Amino acid sequence: MLRRQLLTGGLLVGLVLAAPLSAHHGWTGGETLELEGTITATRLGNPHGEVELDVDGEDWTIEVGQPWRNERAGLAEGDLREGVELRVSGEHAGEQLLKAEQLWIGEQHYVLYPGRI
Amino acid sequence: MEGWLNQLAGTALAEWVRVSRWGYAGINTLHVLGIALLFGSIAALDLRLLGASRHLSLPAVARLLQPLAVAGLLLAVASGTLLFLADPGGYAATPLFLFKLGVIVLAISNAMALNLAPGLARASPRRLRSAALASLLLWLAALIAGRMLAFV
Repeated sequence: MLRRQLLTGGLLVGLVLAAPLSAHHGWTGGETLELEGTITATRLGNPHGEVELDVDGEDWTIEVGQPWRNERAGLAEGDLREGVELRVSGEHAGEQLLKAEQLWIGEQHYVLYPGRI
Repeated sequence: MEGWLNQLAGTALAEWVRVSRWGYAGINTLHVLGIALLFGSIAALDLRLLGASRHLSLPAVARLLQPLAVAGLLLAVASGTLLFLADPGGYAATPLFLFKLGVIVLAISNAMALNLAPGLARASPRRLRSAALASLLLWLAALIAGRMLAFV
């Protein structure tokens, strides 16, 4: 009885672990992609910031860093705001999802992950 | 609902959770500690109820493990509330988060129903076993759903 119950539990865990994880947390080895567009919305803060980018009519979600990482890259409050033209390069982490490694606003270059570029 | 969530997000405490580097990391650590205490002790107690290690007296096992589980639950709920403050609207709009909350409510109800109505000492072996199995599966589901929140 107990053995069967434990087996069922173990099976459940296995099933969940085997399900493909959509990328979000950490790097998954997706191709490097560069996008250019206009910011339509932002949510900055822990666990990481998200910027919605209009790329030629396509809506992309750009994951930027946590506050300390953005700050270390030189981004000041308000740099990532609605209406700003943004060029961003990073890992293609989902259908319309990019995990930013570096970005440009005008001529200014900001590096979020120095170890990855 | 949305106005209320926005109000929550606008509090000074929420702002601190959102921007703090080590504060946020610390809250995360406390959340893991709470879950470890809760799941570790509840899993051991549930296994005892399911028939493992029958030579250990149930009242003694329960006296040790239940307060640990409750302490872990309180720590996880307190730290979890703080983590929620970082993005109330976002979490509230995530189905997996709502599923996790639902499962936790069921798991707590399961534990309270067993302890309040028959009590551990007077419940039938059958009742103990079914409650223990439900507890094990529900807390496991809550743990998995919570961890997967970072990946969906």
